[in-house]
Amino acid sequence: MDSQNKFMPQDYIPIMIQSFIVLGFVLTTMIMTHLLGPLRKSKAKLENFECGIEGMGNARSPFSVKYFLIAILFVLFDVEVIFMYPWAVNFRDLGANGFLDMLLFLGLLLLGFIYIVFKGALKWDNS
Amino acid sequence: MRLEDFLLMRHELLLTLIAIIILIAEIFTDDFKKQGIRPLSIILMAIVTIVGFLPAPTGTLFGGMYQATDMRLMMKNILNIGALIVFIQSASWLKSDDNQNKVSEFFLLLISTLIGMNFMISSGDFLMFYLGLELATIPIAALAAYDRYSNKSSEAGIKLILISALSSGILLYGISMIYGTVGSVYFDKVSVAYGATPLQIMSFIFFFTGMAFKISIVPFHLWTADVYEGAPVNVTSYLSVVSKGAAVFIFSIMLVTVFQNIAAMWKDVMWITAAITMTLGNLFAMRQNNLKRFLAFSSISQAGFIMLGIIGGSELGMAAVVYYILVYIFSNLGAFGVIAAISNASGGKENMSDYDGLYKTNPALSLTLTLALFSLAGIPPVAGFFGKFFLFTAVAEKGYWWLLTIAVLNTIISLYYYLLPVKAMFINKAETSIAYFKSDGWTKVGLIICVAGMVIVGFASVIFEYIRTLSFGL
Amino acid sequence: MKDMSVALKFIPLDHYVLLCIILFSIGVLGVLYRRNTIIIIMCIELMLNSVNLLLTAFSVYHSDPTGQIFVFFIMVVAAAEVAVGLAILVMMKRNIDSVDINLLSRLKW
Repeated sequence: MDSQNKFMPQDYIPIMIQSFIVLGFVLTTMIMTHLLGPLRKSKAKLENFECGIEGMGNARSPFSVKYFLIAILFVLFDVEVIFMYPWAVNFRDLGANGFLDMLLFLGLLLLGFIYIVFKGALKWDNS
Repeated sequence: MRLEDFLLMRHELLLTLIAIIILIAEIFTDDFKKQGIRPLSIILMAIVTIVGFLPAPTGTLFGGMYQATDMRLMMKNILNIGALIVFIQSASWLKSDDNQNKVSEFFLLLISTLIGMNFMISSGDFLMFYLGLELATIPIAALAAYDRYSNKSSEAGIKLILISALSSGILLYGISMIYGTVGSVYFDKVSVAYGATPLQIMSFIFFFTGMAFKISIVPFHLWTADVYEGAPVNVTSYLSVVSKGAAVFIFSIMLVTVFQNIAAMWKDVMWITAAITMTLGNLFAMRQNNLKRFLAFSSISQAGFIMLGIIGGSELGMAAVVYYILVYIFSNLGAFGVIAAISNASGGKENMSDYDGLYKTNPALSLTLTLALFSLAGIPPVAGFFGKFFLFTAVAEKGYWWLLTIAVLNTIISLYYYLLPVKAMFINKAETSIAYFKSDGWTKVGLIICVAGMVIVGFASVIFEYIRTLSFGL
Repeated sequence: MKDMSVALKFIPLDHYVLLCIILFSIGVLGVLYRRNTIIIIMCIELMLNSVNLLLTAFSVYHSDPTGQIFVFFIMVVAAAEVAVGLAILVMMKRNIDSVDINLLSRLKW
């Protein structure tokens, strides 16, 4: 890149300020809730669920495999987005041709998605 | 892209097209019409196979990433034939109740691996090569685990995916080293700049190891038998014939073109591994009782024989490799087709002792299996003999006499164990041999193609001569 | 962008190569020694990531973007590989109720 795009360290000050604000907000809220909130420790309060039924068993029990299926599908479709970053950065240079290529790519991806939906992988109840 | 460019990569485009057609058919049809997906896929695949043989332009695309030469087109056509036979053979197996609801997935996964193999064979740089290789291996792992409720099948699947991931990791490390030392991933640039610096030799060793896993050359062969036995028979036949053929094709192309500067080095490596592969594969095959495992070890030793042609390295050697794979496709698929038919009809009988007295009950199937085993062993009237003969000629031409001796000795050993099932079928007496059954039309067509291939490819010397004229330009 | 590659080049290439070899070896040893399939898959990911780092480092030193493009593709393929691997793993867990590789000895010669 040319000299006009040279970034000096002080150019990053806005980012630094933003990070400070974010961190500060989180820390302040966490500390304030601990200080301000009333402390009531009782058995009922420390239960995992407060719906009247006694908690039983271990939380680390097997759970429905549907979460897993959706997690895998998420991983797949999440990672495909990686190809859109370089395209988005060079969107103007690639022009209509690049746009068509990306449409083709997304179309194939969409076909896979339709397949998943029709196969019922995203259904929560098996009825 | 111009229209001719589409014509250039018509194998891949057509395969992608039929994959999309099958996917759409799967999504948008009701259960009744899904019966039609099986014949539809087979017919589409047959059309693609035939279209592949039509004359077409050659050239390069994407700045050299994709190369279409006559030889590579021939390799793709051979793979297409193999895949078509596997499709036909698996038709009756897919009709069973267990597989009803996943028929189109079988075809989809197989076609995607085929697309991967075609891209891999046409690759002109390591990126395309890597993508093709992965597309060719990952769906196969899903296919190996096709029997959802079988322990063996899931075991085969997990072993295949772990091994293929590990081997591609090693392969990639080699590729990254090549990229680091040469500064490019294009084959033509790498082949010019590749020397024998220590880092480059190390990168070649990594690369060789990764490919050796895929072809199951001996120190890296242990996954083969397990996966072959656990996977469904039709998947095993695809794995042992088409996938292995594709890996051998691209490996031989790359050794001869990309790594030509260190040819003296890789020939030594190949010499030793080929000798060990042939011998160990044979020795293990002798003590197997399960026929799928038996063919797995036999395919390991066949890989050793195929390496002879690569070591020959000449234009005759390349032609011999391609020709041998063509013969091997027909012979091995013939053997697997019979095993699959018997396994489906008898409820999973795959042991050698189950075949006792098979000739009495099912003469046609036993004769086909005998012919296929003869072809694998290399007994004269069938094509396997000519394949082995050309491989041996290619090695002898370069004066590797010791290797030739080992190879011939191994052929004699292999005769012994290839005749074991034949002896079981024809000579052994059995109280309860597998009863007579009528195989359906698809199975018959598949086996007839295999038998015809074994006979015609052997006798029509035109085919070898034709392949030989192609192998000038890789 | 150029500044960044200049800054990256302050670290000698050898360091990157050594780091990648160490990471890669940890991955390979993990694959060979661990018996839990999920950890094996994690180790394979570690191997692939060391390759990615190496490719990126070489790409910066050669001032050639090919290596970084390669990294993109490796990441995507690795995700696909893991998705298939984990799916088969769940199948295996259902069938034999374990993810231990040592139990996978049903197919042995």
